[in-house]
Amino acid sequence: MQNVLSILFCLSLFYLVVTTSVKSYISVLRMQGVLLVILMILPFIPDFSIFGLILPLTMLVVKVILIPRYMEKIMNDLNIKREIESTLQQFNFLLLSCFSMAVIFIVSNYLSKSTEFAVIPFATAFSAVTIGIYIIMFRKKLIVHVIGFLVLENGIFMFGLAVASEFPIIIELGSLLDVFAVVFLMGIAINKISSTIFTDDRLAQRRDP
Amino acid sequence: MTAILVMLTLPFMAAVTSFLFKNWKIQYAVTLLSAFLHLTVSFAIFTGFYIPEQFFMFGYDSLSKLFLVVLSNTYFWIVLVSYSYIKLPVESDSTSGKKYYFMLMNFYIIANTAAILSNHFAMYWVAAEATTLSVAPLVYYSRSQESLIAMWKYLFIVSVGIAFAFIGILFLALSSKGTVLDGQQLYFSEFIKNAHLLSPVWLKAGFVFIFVGLSTKIGVAPMHAGDVDATSTAPSPIAALFSGTLRITALLGVLRMLQILKNTGSYEFAKFLLVTGGLLSILVTLIFMLKATDMKKMVAYSSVEHLGIIILGIGTGGLAFIGAMYHIVFNSMTKVGLFLCAGKIHHKYNSKNISEISGVLERLPWTGWLFLISFFAVSGIPPFGFFFSEIKIFEGMLFSQRPYILLITMFMFLLIFINMGNLFFKMLYRKDPQKEFVSNDEKFDVFHFTVISLMLIMIAVAVATPDVLSKNILDIANDFGMLP
Repeated sequence: MQNVLSILFCLSLFYLVVTTSVKSYISVLRMQGVLLVILMILPFIPDFSIFGLILPLTMLVVKVILIPRYMEKIMNDLNIKREIESTLQQFNFLLLSCFSMAVIFIVSNYLSKSTEFAVIPFATAFSAVTIGIYIIMFRKKLIVHVIGFLVLENGIFMFGLAVASEFPIIIELGSLLDVFAVVFLMGIAINKISSTIFTDDRLAQRRDP
Repeated sequence: MTAILVMLTLPFMAAVTSFLFKNWKIQYAVTLLSAFLHLTVSFAIFTGFYIPEQFFMFGYDSLSKLFLVVLSNTYFWIVLVSYSYIKLPVESDSTSGKKYYFMLMNFYIIANTAAILSNHFAMYWVAAEATTLSVAPLVYYSRSQESLIAMWKYLFIVSVGIAFAFIGILFLALSSKGTVLDGQQLYFSEFIKNAHLLSPVWLKAGFVFIFVGLSTKIGVAPMHAGDVDATSTAPSPIAALFSGTLRITALLGVLRMLQILKNTGSYEFAKFLLVTGGLLSILVTLIFMLKATDMKKMVAYSSVEHLGIIILGIGTGGLAFIGAMYHIVFNSMTKVGLFLCAGKIHHKYNSKNISEISGVLERLPWTGWLFLISFFAVSGIPPFGFFFSEIKIFEGMLFSQRPYILLITMFMFLLIFINMGNLFFKMLYRKDPQKEFVSNDEKFDVFHFTVISLMLIMIAVAVATPDVLSKNILDIANDFGMLP
């Protein structure tokens, strides 16, 4: 089951690579959040406890509801264009991503021979980190960079699940809170940047010759 | 337990008070009181007067004792000047940045204390991320466009960097698979004890990720861009905190990792990375100094240089390591002087451009002379602290396996000194074209008092090092196995 969910996660990464609409980026974030929550709940199903649900539920609220809502709000407030511009041609971007993911899967498989870990979730997590960085590097627009950062963060959460290292709940909650606060601050910064820079006279003149 | 709780809860109460009361005087008084108590407690812990128990994920050893006292001391002096600072006008029309100044300062000290005292890798990570969150809005204090972009850059680069550090921590967890530590919590002390059992491949990968990730916060080249921009645009007290304490908190993560690697075959690899990072940092400073036009950026790059030499000393090991620890102590005090003076000059001239700043000694005699003294201090002229710590680092490098690195370092230091000196003397001595229009009746204020006090403390510590400090640094070297 873990592998199936991981592969679904991988597919969501491919979708991120090929799509050029900010809206679908946000939907993918939601979907990845849901996948992560299911992945977190899976080990708890045999011995169910209310206490074990605290973290997945917080994750659901933060990653599936709060952050995507906030992103949508920023998009609407600032009237951001729906299309994403890229500094790399779409096909080359896809090619680069596919190549990187293939390398990651092969290397992970090789590494798993000496250390015991779940190969598919591990490689998926690493792919998410890589794709997140590619989005930051090759896509324009600040809001898309924030989404790239969130994909990277999702990758790291998944990585934690693959390595199966369990941190005390307070640390997990703390790191979730940190991520949320970072995104919140970034959102404020985007708001300010677009209201101070993009309404700059020079740009206005350029738009309206 | 009580002491650690006091150090975390007092600033929290001060933060809440600062949030509730709009009066700056109340905010200042409460923050100063909590800073003073924080300093008292950390000093008591440092001198061994009070020995707190470990609790939850917090504990302390000789390394955290030293870092804690450095943090507390710098923070106290910075809070002391803060009230005078926020009364100064800001560049833009908006003064909303001042509203949350003291509240964020209190969160800053909570996050840094938690990071320094944490005994658990993940706890350290959460606290280190929180330090970024508390300091980023302070960078945007002046509400100018430049500071907004600097804040964005800092927040983004450091968040990505710290995400990398988290991958490094997970690699560390992977390295313990199949050993007694498998499935255990990531306590520093346990990992250091059982370091020889860990898998070397994952350990190396973990070190690379943690070092590269935290480099964005430490300001080690080539990851220094966001940090330098933030330091150069932040208000001067915050910039001094950045240089003296925030970078040190980030360095702690790298040092913990090094402490684990010390007893394994991967130590040489880590040393190589550290030495390369240190040399690169000094090199980028040199390149910047050749074409420097911005005063605050110049001062910010000086931090990159000194963190570079600290990393270099740590990477070299032995006596250089001990020198690096002293350098950390002196760096925090010297940078306060340098940044506070630079901030005063910036306010007076309303420009950071070196070509527009002239005749500082005539227009601002107190600040000008202190700026000159700070320059001597930062260049390692005796009797200032850097002289003594750099001598130790250089001696350590001379007797290391690669003495030629010393030659390269000293050559770069000389060039940086010449170029930086040239720029400093231009600002201080060049004739001021507007001389007749301005008065030069600068009064002695709390900024000057702070700089002079810290300089005197530094000279005293450097010339007559207290036993408790030298013993503590020897203990750190012992913990790291640097002593023969």
